Formats: sequence, C-alpha cells, structure tokens
Amino acid sequence: MPILPMRLDRIKKDGLFRVTKLDSGNPCIARLMTMGLLPDQELRLTHEAPLGDPIAIEFNGCQMSLRIEDAARIEVEAIG
Amino acid sequence: MNTDRQLSVALIGNPNTGKTSLFNMLTGLQQQVGNYAGVTVEKKTGTWTLPNGERVDLIDLPGTYNLNAVSLDERVAVDVLAGHSADAAPPDLVIVVVDVENLRRNLYLASQASELGVPMVIALNCWDVAERKGLQIDSKLLEQRLGVPVVPTVARTRRGTGALAEAVTRALETRPILVRPRWPEAVMESLEYLRDELITQRGEALREGELQRLLFDKRSAVAERLKTTAPEREPILRRAREKLHMGGYQPDAAESLLRYRFLNPLLNDILERQAAMKKRSTSESIDQLLLHRVWGLLVFVGMMYVVFQSVYTWAGPLMDLIEGGVGKLGDFAGGFLTATPMLQSLVVDGVIGGVGAFLVFLPQILVLFFFIALLEETGYMARAAFLMDKLFSWSGLNGKSFVPLLSSFACAIPGILATRTISDPKARCITILIAPLMSCSARLPVYLLMIGAFIEPQYGAAIAGLTLFAMHFIGVLLAGPLAWLLHRSLPPYVTSQPFVMELPHYRVPQLSRIGHRLYKCGSEFIIRAGTVICAMTIVIWALLYFPRPPELAEAVEATAAETSPALSPAQLEHRVNAAYLEQSFMGRFGRTVQPIFAPAGYDWKITIGVLASFPAREIIISTLGITYALGGEIDEGSDDLRTTLSKAKWESGPRAGEAVFNLPVALSIMVFFALCMQCGATVAVIAKELHWGWAAGSFFGLTALAWVAAVLTYQIGMWLA
Repeated sequence: MPILPMRLDRIKKDGLFRVTKLDSGNPCIARLMTMGLLPDQELRLTHEAPLGDPIAIEFNGCQMSLRIEDAARIEVEAIG
Repeated sequence: MNTDRQLSVALIGNPNTGKTSLFNMLTGLQQQVGNYAGVTVEKKTGTWTLPNGERVDLIDLPGTYNLNAVSLDERVAVDVLAGHSADAAPPDLVIVVVDVENLRRNLYLASQASELGVPMVIALNCWDVAERKGLQIDSKLLEQRLGVPVVPTVARTRRGTGALAEAVTRALETRPILVRPRWPEAVMESLEYLRDELITQRGEALREGELQRLLFDKRSAVAERLKTTAPEREPILRRAREKLHMGGYQPDAAESLLRYRFLNPLLNDILERQAAMKKRSTSESIDQLLLHRVWGLLVFVGMMYVVFQSVYTWAGPLMDLIEGGVGKLGDFAGGFLTATPMLQSLVVDGVIGGVGAFLVFLPQILVLFFFIALLEETGYMARAAFLMDKLFSWSGLNGKSFVPLLSSFACAIPGILATRTISDPKARCITILIAPLMSCSARLPVYLLMIGAFIEPQYGAAIAGLTLFAMHFIGVLLAGPLAWLLHRSLPPYVTSQPFVMELPHYRVPQLSRIGHRLYKCGSEFIIRAGTVICAMTIVIWALLYFPRPPELAEAVEATAAETSPALSPAQLEHRVNAAYLEQSFMGRFGRTVQPIFAPAGYDWKITIGVLASFPAREIIISTLGITYALGGEIDEGSDDLRTTLSKAKWESGPRAGEAVFNLPVALSIMVFFALCMQCGATVAVIAKELHWGWAAGSFFGLTALAWVAAVLTYQIGMWLA
C-alpha cells in the first residue's frame, strides 16, 4: 500500500507519524529543526488548542507548540 | 594563564533546564543584575568560590535553544562566548547545563558553543528526575566521547555541585574542548570564502564559530556587529550561502542536518534506553485535562479568576495598612512642621502623600507576581499561552500577552513588568504599548465619582453598572486595532520571532525561587518610588503651591467677611486654598490650556484636574476637591464633592450660569481617563523596559487618542441631548 504524505496541519487524529519533508525557509521550521525535528524523525500530535490552532507535537521527549500555518509546511506519513 | 584578572565562567543552557537554579545555588545572593550594553537583555553575574578558594565571576547567559543568533538573547550569548560583548572579556570556561531528558537537543547547543573555542564542562542536570524515570545515562562514557567533563547534578537539592566545582577547577587548567564535527568540503569552502573576505581583506575580528553563524543563519544578528556595512557585506554572505547550496546543502537546513548527523552516533546507544521509556509522560496526561478544549478553558478561566480576585482581596488589607501608615506618618511629620507651612505642605502633601499613593500598589504587585512566578515555575504559563494564542495572533501578538494584559486591569506597572515573559521582542513591545489602555484600578475612583454624581441618580443602578463596564471595555476595544496597526508599522529593527514554544514538563515549584523573584521585583518597585516618583510629585506639588503671596489670603478673608460672614473657619480656609490654587502656576496654566479642552466640555477647574492628574490619575479627585473649594482631603464616595460638582456653574463665557457638569461632560471625563496615559510611573516603567522614545510616543499618542475620544463623546452627547 503506498503511503501518502500528508500535511501536518490536516492531521486530526492520534497516532505516530514520520516527517518526510520540511520547508527550512520558514523560520519556525528552521527553529524546530535545530531542536531535532528533521526528516525521518517520528512525532506525535498531542494537543490542539480550543480553536484548533496552535497544535502541540511531541518528538524526542519534548513537546512543542506551533501554529497551524507553520504546521502546513511540514509533511508527514502515518506509521501507526 | 593570566592570574591578575579574576577568572570568568559562563553558564549556558536551554530554557527550563534548571540553569538559573544552578546559578542561584552557586552564587547565593551575591548577584548583580543589569543589562547588556545597549540591549534590554538582562545580565546576571555573581561570584562563585571554588574549592581551592579561588573566586570566579559567574555569568548567567539567557536561556536559549541554539546560538542561531536571531533573537537578542542568542546574539548576546554568542557575543559573550566569543568575547565580543562590550562589557566582558571572553569567559575562561563555559558550563553547559543540559537537561538529561532532552540530551540530544541540549547537546546541539553545546556543540554550537564549542565552535567558539571556549573550554567546556557539561552539567547533566535534573539527574534525579532521570533516575526516577529509570533513565540511566553513562556519564563516564559520555565524557569519553565528548572530550569534556560531564557531571551529573540536581540543582534544586545541591547534589553534584561539589563535583561540578572540582571539575571546573581542573578544567580551568586543562581547558578541554568539546569534540567538533568534521564539516564536509562545501561547508569548509564557504567558510574559507567568508574568512578570506571578512577577516583577511576587511580586518574583522571573527572566530570560527561566528563565521559559521554568518554562514548558516539567514539573518544572523552577528552581522550587525561587523564594521563592514550592510550593502558591502550582504553580497558576501549571499555568495557564501550560494556556494553551500551549489555544494548540495540547503543553507537553512545544513547546520541542523550535519550537526545532528555528527551528534547522533555519539549518543545513539546511550539514548536507546531512553526510547524504552513509557510513551505518554505524566505531563502529557495532565495536559489531557488542562489543554482540553472545554475543561482546559474552564480551568484556565477559573484560575485567572482566583488570581485576580486575590489581587484585590489579599492585597486589600495590606493596602489599607500602608494607606493608614502613610496618613499617620503625614500627621506625625506635619506635627513637627506646623511652624513652617510651606515645608509642611511639601513633606505632607508632596513627598509623603505622593510617594505613599504609589507605594500603596506594592501589595497588589507582590500578590500578582507571586501567582505569575507560581504559574511559570510549574510550567503552566506556557499552557495558558497555548490556549490563548488564537485570540491574539491576528494582531501580531501571541498567547504570552494574555497574562500581562489581564494584569494591567489591576495596574499597568506589574502588567508591563510581566511582559518580560514574552520572548518575542516585537510582541513584547506591542504588549507594553497597549497595556496602559487596560482600565487599571486607579481609574476606578474617577468612574465611581462621575457615575455616582451624574448617572446613578438619574438612570439607576443598572445603567450605572453598564457604564462602569463600558469604561473598562473601551480600552480593550481600541487596543486590538492599535496592536494590529503597531504590528504593521513598527520599525524593522524590532524583529518578530517565530512562535514555537516548548510545553515544558510540569514540576513542583520551588518556594525559594519564587521568594527570590518577589524580592527582586519588590525592591525594584520601592527604589522607583524613592527616585522617579518622588521627584515627579514634588514638581507637581510645587506647581500647585506657588506662587503664594500672603496678600491674597488677606484679600479673600476680607471679601468673605463682607459678603458671607457666616462661614466657619474650615470653610474659609477652603476658600483661601481655592484662591491660591487658581493663581498658582498650574492654575494659570489650566486657564491658558482650557480652550484646548473646551471642545470636550471642560471648564478651567476640570482642566487643572486633568493636568494635575498626569503624574497619577487619582490626583484628580483631590484636585477637584481643592478647586471646588472643599479642601484636599476628599474621596470619591464623599457626598460633598458629588453635590458640589452637580451644582457647579460656568462662571463666564457663552454658557455662563449653566451647569458645568452634565451627562456628556461626565462621560467625556470618564472616556478621557479611560484612555489617557495619566500615570508617571507607567511612563517611567515603559522608558525603563523599552526606551525613552517609546515612553514619550506612548504618552503623547494615548493623550491625543484620549482627547479625540473625549471630544467625540462630548460633541455626540450634546448633539443627542
């Protein structure tokens, strides 16, 4: 079964994902990359703020919040 | 090694690693807090005595995730480590405080710091938490691989600080450097190009690590330090990044990819055990409730309610105590000075009264800061910002503005001080500038007086309550668009930062740290009261007091004896005071300026009240009291002032004989006070936190806004009536 890449801002469900593509030109993404959010990194979507923005993701044992517009620049694939 | 200079050691680390706890532990209360030259980044230094008796300067650098020198904090960290900070020589050693649970990310910062060539010791902090979670890290193995001493510590219980001190003592001799990545050819070539252009040809003083910052970071703040002008250096930097790109590396991504590629093999077998930890942490489970879209919001609202209720109720008795104390002190001091009325008035009305009116806010500030410290230390503050972010993002602010703005409803000063928790300089600047629009408790007396005199008697309690609410709401209503405008128009040097925020693990707050913070903000507040505020009240007092020719009192008494001989001595004294006030500098100024306020419906007495209230808005009550010849000792509940106001008539001009105060005038006064920047203390705090230019801009801007709104209110009100 082919794995379809999804944009992180479209994901509404729990589960484990793997980063496939990042837009390093976006300053938020660049910041997350220095924290270890790189291609192939696994992450989980842990929380959504009341209006669905921002969202919180967990990777490498740390929880980071980012806004939906920035999450749109991250592509992931579901791995379970 | 140079022995005639005191050695210096810098502390660096990610936020929430316990770096500041470690700093406090090592230096005790021997700390100095200042600013780095030219920037509003807090500089904390202290003295640390090593086991061999040597005393070293310990510098606590701002907490930062990386050295990518985008924000001021990161730039300061790079400058200090590279020895290019204007106020310090390069440190002899850097202690990197590392959170064991986030080893990989924390070592990224250490790796960046090592490029600046500073010897290093690593403190593996929060060792106890790691042990509790069954996370075992072989610190000896890590030490071998990294090439620098690695010391497990628990800052909050002092564990490991002895070992750290010994490791630092030894490292100051051996000067160990953390292993550095071998950069691929493309990176080396680009760095070589920069070295040649900037160091060889233009004589810039740059370390290897700073060249890397210039190459890897898109808008590196390091560039601003160079002698080479922007038009000359920009093409060089662009060219270097192009070289990197041609070598097959995306310049923005290159460093993260390459540095983690270097770090991962060093850590992988050490971190494998970490991966076996349970999937969902305790913090995450707590957040299932606290970040829930319904329950999370309810808890948040409830918590804020408790906080602000406490600001009023807990602080109330203490404020009464201070007020009582100030009054007693005034009476006591006044008793000694009856022989010299001028000195008596200066001491009692000017210094004691004025400074006392400011000091009264100390309890509120301490209570509020207690809660802010508590929310921050536990880690909840980041959750509050997460929940509130959407409400603010459209105007260029972020969720971290919420608590400072809410605090400003009690008083703008603690609110503005609370903006220190906002890491984005642009959002912080905007929040500070709109904070005075939140209706603070000092405006309440003005509202209560006007509503009590002109709205409640005519329209009943319901409308009175609604008016009170409207006055609190008008500032908020204008603050949103103002923030949006500022966001669009702020000069480019106030940079905006990306909003990515860590939700740190919850932890039990340390009382000693909360106490430390309260002590710091309390003492700052008291020092301000003794200096700026004291000077300002004396000036206003003098303007209301002088000139004071004795003939005037005699003349007033003579007229009174003729026209109304039934006056009591107290009433007579009020009349004399009122006469003096009318021809005081402020009184004359009020008459001259009155035409400006005429479109808002103010007579010269209201104008004096408004002018005299610029140092502190509460002053209007006592000034109106003096001007309407009741004497200064009056408060907003006083029926006398209310009735006198409603009976006041225009003395001359086209409307002579008509009542001065009608509904539009009362509303216009309230609107003016709701929006105007009538608070010397706030102006001073803005100047301290931002810059005098901003303080002046904010003062004139808000005053103009208040004038326009007051005129509109009056004119529309008159038209409707």
